[in-house]
Amino acid sequence: MTPSPPPRRELPSVRPVSLALLLVSAGFLGYLSGFPGGFGILLALTGVAVALVLRMSPSREVAAYAPVPVLAVLALEAATAPVGFGTELLAGLAGLSFLAWLADDPARPAGGALRALPTLSLPALALGIAWSSALFLPPGAVPLGVAGGLLALTLIAVALLVGSPTVFDREEARS
Amino acid sequence: MSPPPSPALRWRPLAPFLLAVGAALLIAAVVTRNPVPLFLGLPLLLAPVAAGVAGPRSAPPVRVDLRVEGSGGEVRLEGRVATERGLDARDLLVEVARPPSLREAADTQFDRSPTALRFRTDWTAPEPTIAEVDVPTVLWRDPMGLVEREAVSNAVPLVVTRYPPELLRIGAVHLERTTPLPGETHSRRVGESGEFHGIRLARPDDPPRQINWRATARAGRPLANEYDLDKTGDILILIDARPTSLGRVLDERLFAIVRAAALGLADSFLSIKARVGLGVFGEFLDVVPLSTGRTHRIRIETALRRAHLSSVSAPAERCAVAARRSFPTGLTTVVFSSLANDPADDVSPYLRRRGFPVVVLSPSPLPILPVTSLLSAKDEELAARITRLVRRNRVARAWQEAPTIDWDNYWSLGQFVDFVRRPRIRRAG
Repeated sequence: MTPSPPPRRELPSVRPVSLALLLVSAGFLGYLSGFPGGFGILLALTGVAVALVLRMSPSREVAAYAPVPVLAVLALEAATAPVGFGTELLAGLAGLSFLAWLADDPARPAGGALRALPTLSLPALALGIAWSSALFLPPGAVPLGVAGGLLALTLIAVALLVGSPTVFDREEARS
Repeated sequence: MSPPPSPALRWRPLAPFLLAVGAALLIAAVVTRNPVPLFLGLPLLLAPVAAGVAGPRSAPPVRVDLRVEGSGGEVRLEGRVATERGLDARDLLVEVARPPSLREAADTQFDRSPTALRFRTDWTAPEPTIAEVDVPTVLWRDPMGLVEREAVSNAVPLVVTRYPPELLRIGAVHLERTTPLPGETHSRRVGESGEFHGIRLARPDDPPRQINWRATARAGRPLANEYDLDKTGDILILIDARPTSLGRVLDERLFAIVRAAALGLADSFLSIKARVGLGVFGEFLDVVPLSTGRTHRIRIETALRRAHLSSVSAPAERCAVAARRSFPTGLTTVVFSSLANDPADDVSPYLRRRGFPVVVLSPSPLPILPVTSLLSAKDEELAARITRLVRRNRVARAWQEAPTIDWDNYWSLGQFVDFVRRPRIRRAG
């Protein structure tokens, strides 16, 4: 009796929609960033490609590190990007696309990005408010200072929430 | 009594990572006076909080249905997790804990739909076993993998029992009855399934089928038939749970095999309405008194699941004295013992002297002895032969006191079943 070959492990789907969204936004941010000679686009492509390879790895431990290269590339591009009319908005959209790409984990059931829409709507709303404020508020150091203060307060609030997750708990009504 | 606290929301490692990157981008924006990093960091800072808010605000209730399938050494656990309150079952994760005595045969398979999650996992039992399968842990995890929360269910653990199949055909064994007046034993079956014994005054709880209407008409008072049941008898299963020279690991393994076989034996005799008693002798004798019926089966199963190997070796006579206090003499007794200790420590001679006809079923440690890699193949073969001879000699010495069956194929008890199905087991000396 010949031994039957071991079953081939199926490659997980790359979930192309969220990947394309991330690739486009990161590439465009790379194009608008201060890197010369299209290096920004190349950087974005490399970051996304490395993340894709990590995510497709059969090892779950390796796949868990997939967000790191994408975030590193996005942070590098955002830090070097000059202030422009649509650059801020594009940076925010890149952040949202990154979150949608996170939700489309091939190790989990399909449709993660759609199921994550309620979660994504809150950062998207905050991004819209921030961008419209930045667009319509007069330029100067004072609004930036106010915005910085507000964000610092937000950070403290987030840190408190992270420290006590029971804040999210809601007591069930008893009949 | 207050309900148990609901499991709290847990942050996954990705959440603090996003918060750290978001904070770094915020600082970079303030330092460089460039709002672009700030706009990138804003979604990263808010996503973990949004995931916590958008998910269930308390431990989500789920309904878990579990069942165990398979036969022999195959164990297949199938389950279905149904969600409530509109929770999407595709966001659920199920972690199935494998009992230590079972081995994994294949990866767990999942079949997900928005309302339910089905899973199936295949294990194998290398030896007879009684294993408790815990209720799988069900986690809700947000699609981005930032937060998770443990779901609550009211499912109960399952018990997997696997024992040699020959025990199922043990039915025709002749067992001694140990009631003081055997001829007056009431039938344990309803109706005329036993031998007719006599007529007595009817009691209010007698079924109509048991009333002897002709005798009632003749006597002018209600009379009922009384039946005996020749087939039933009594048996005591006694497990030697004392430590042996084999060491803790092998002792534990043999003890697990013995517990499964004891449950199989009890199952078989209970199915023919025999009364079964159980004794586990470690430092002292823990007993389940003689009885029959389904409830008694659960009683024995629970006692066997809770039984553990003793760390102290007690004198064998203590077992016989305690057995005499708890059980009537003349009771057919099956003793499970590995016979790995000195013959002076055997419990069978002491039991025989106190009037218990004993059959020893001895699980051999040879099949599970670890192979030492220090010896050459030839020496290894020689060592194995010597070990087999020592074992054979030990069993022969035990035979001088009571019939002893060397049980070396754990998935077969044919030799034992054939022996006990002989017309009469050797009586007490």
